[in-house]
Amino acid sequence: MSLKRRDFLKLSTAAACLGVTSTAHGMEDFKGWPDRYGMLTDTTLCIGANCRRCEEACKKTNKRSLEGLNLSDNSVFDHQRRTDPNSYTVVNRFANREDPENPIYVKKQCMHCNEPACASACLVRAFTKTPEGPVLYNKDVCIGCRYCMLACPFRMPTYDYFDAFSPEVRKCTMCHDRIIEGKIPACADVCPKEAITFGKRSDLILLAREKIRHDPDRYQQHIYGEEEVGGTSWLYLAGTDFTNIGFANNLGSTPYPEFTRGFLSAVPIVLTVWPVMLTGFWKFSKARERQEAGPETDTTVDDEKGWGDGYRHE
Amino acid sequence: MKKTISIWSISLLLMIYLTGAAISSSSQDSEQDATRPPCSDCHVCESPSTADPCLELCLWTKTEATKGHSAAEGPEVAMLDELEELYGPVKFNHKLHAEMVGMGEGCSVCHHYSPPGRIPPCSECHGDEPSEPQTLRKPGLKGAFHRQCMGCHREWSHDTKCIVCHLPANGVDLTTSGIDSTDILGISHPVITVPEMRIWTTPYTAGPLVTFHHQEHIDLFGLRCVDCHQQENCSYCHDLEKDPAAHKTDEEIHAICNDCHASDACDKCHGVGEKPAFTHGGNGHWELNRFHQGLSCRACHPTGRKIGKLSNKCSDCHGGWSQQNFRHSITGLQLDEAHGEFDCIDCHKNLMYSRIPRCYDCHDDCRNHEDAPPGEYIQRASVR
Repeated sequence: MSLKRRDFLKLSTAAACLGVTSTAHGMEDFKGWPDRYGMLTDTTLCIGANCRRCEEACKKTNKRSLEGLNLSDNSVFDHQRRTDPNSYTVVNRFANREDPENPIYVKKQCMHCNEPACASACLVRAFTKTPEGPVLYNKDVCIGCRYCMLACPFRMPTYDYFDAFSPEVRKCTMCHDRIIEGKIPACADVCPKEAITFGKRSDLILLAREKIRHDPDRYQQHIYGEEEVGGTSWLYLAGTDFTNIGFANNLGSTPYPEFTRGFLSAVPIVLTVWPVMLTGFWKFSKARERQEAGPETDTTVDDEKGWGDGYRHE
Repeated sequence: MKKTISIWSISLLLMIYLTGAAISSSSQDSEQDATRPPCSDCHVCESPSTADPCLELCLWTKTEATKGHSAAEGPEVAMLDELEELYGPVKFNHKLHAEMVGMGEGCSVCHHYSPPGRIPPCSECHGDEPSEPQTLRKPGLKGAFHRQCMGCHREWSHDTKCIVCHLPANGVDLTTSGIDSTDILGISHPVITVPEMRIWTTPYTAGPLVTFHHQEHIDLFGLRCVDCHQQENCSYCHDLEKDPAAHKTDEEIHAICNDCHASDACDKCHGVGEKPAFTHGGNGHWELNRFHQGLSCRACHPTGRKIGKLSNKCSDCHGGWSQQNFRHSITGLQLDEAHGEFDCIDCHKNLMYSRIPRCYDCHDDCRNHEDAPPGEYIQRASVR
């Protein structure tokens, strides 16, 4: 097969165009589902001690074991707890520097990012950002690689390590099924102080700003989750610096999938276009070499420096 | 004819125009106050009056109108029992709280909307369900109650137990739970640090110094805060604007102590120096023996705020003792067989146990209990 120079140029230009268009497609900016829901946790309202109704309601609604759950046992606050396959949400206690006798309680659970890192890390698309807001997990396609757990900036997904046969990645679902039924998530429903508010994310941001404006001494001028990692569905208000109550302030406002988007969108091009292009180059150069070298094979007798020369003299 | 009609119609139009102009100019005058918000922002009817201001319900922002109300207007006690499936109702002492907020922002501390006239109850705006996406700014009744109450309660009592406010369900008696809801430190007030002792200088020349052992009155005599601190509401301590120079009169001060010390002489409290703390033997009474030392005052003096005098007859308290069930060795004297047979009263004449019986009460041979004891003296230290 001989490839003309003109044909090769045509081919490579077409390939380049293909590459450019697919890159542009990968960089398209999606502002998120417009009417997605969110949750606003006002940590200045949470009472924590003797309460933890949210933990109980969460376990009940997700059919998790209630074993060992003693709501009046405040010793659980002595150490920082993390979510586990049986507890999709936990309330932790933090020292209050302004008022040491009234510690701060913070409920933690999946933040339901606008652009979830878990979803972008998943090889099999087991995570979906639903139009309603929650990030949902599909156990039917999960292969158990647990990349999602590594990818999550909030370390929220957990794994059924003790289930040998059908382990699942487990995390808060923001009660997606309840939202579909027209109910509000179980934790928000049960909270006696309504420290957790359920609503449209855009409305919640307005409400949070209103609260801050209304009582600037009570609140920090910051809504955690509004910008962090590109925004999360779960938002927080606090009366103290967020770093004092276990929130990282170094997550940036870039959605995590953004960091890998350039690389990942290049993968299809590298895998499809590069082989074709490189093969083209190889074919072209080989053909040219043959074209240039082929007809002169017999005249190399005079070439004193060629290989043939050496052989001939031997 | 045609001309007449046109003249009439022109004059009619002119009249309408003039009337309209007059009305508009007068309304312009009334609307010149630009700082005043439009009436319809608050009033829902055309012509509001003081008696019926027909105000818009459930404003989120606090209204200034609460200055027109006083604590006396409200109920003494309100039962908050709208949501009592989990706990018993909350017996809310409205009057106490109303007096308390009197030193702060007034009724609007809780009633964020209390216009002149009728004050709407919380349940008129706040429903049974928590806030929904459509009603973000309006918590449910449960949320509203808990936000109102727990904000303050948690701030100063650091306690979030349900029982602080809720009566327990199923008719459990609060008195069995060790909580005395009638005292200041009873149900919801955090521990108050009280001085161990106070010494006042008074103008009484014969004994200018008055020593008051405060902690002793609580720990030893078992007095409750309200026993002495009567007629003191929350603002007595919490009112920051109270004049610190304001003093009680001599009569008022003495009245507090006179509940118990009315029959005592002046030198009970007044003296030239600091008075020592109470000891049972030191204040003219008998020294407690080792069996009684560990008891609380109330174990022997159970009734009356003022601790009264008891007789020195053991049988007044220990009435059930006889020679059959009383182990005499506990006194340090193991009675011998002969003396162990007698009734208590045979040796302890008139049941005067404080007096050691004399041998000559029964025996004529001049023996005494040192040389010929009625048994064996055993080591007192080993006695339990």
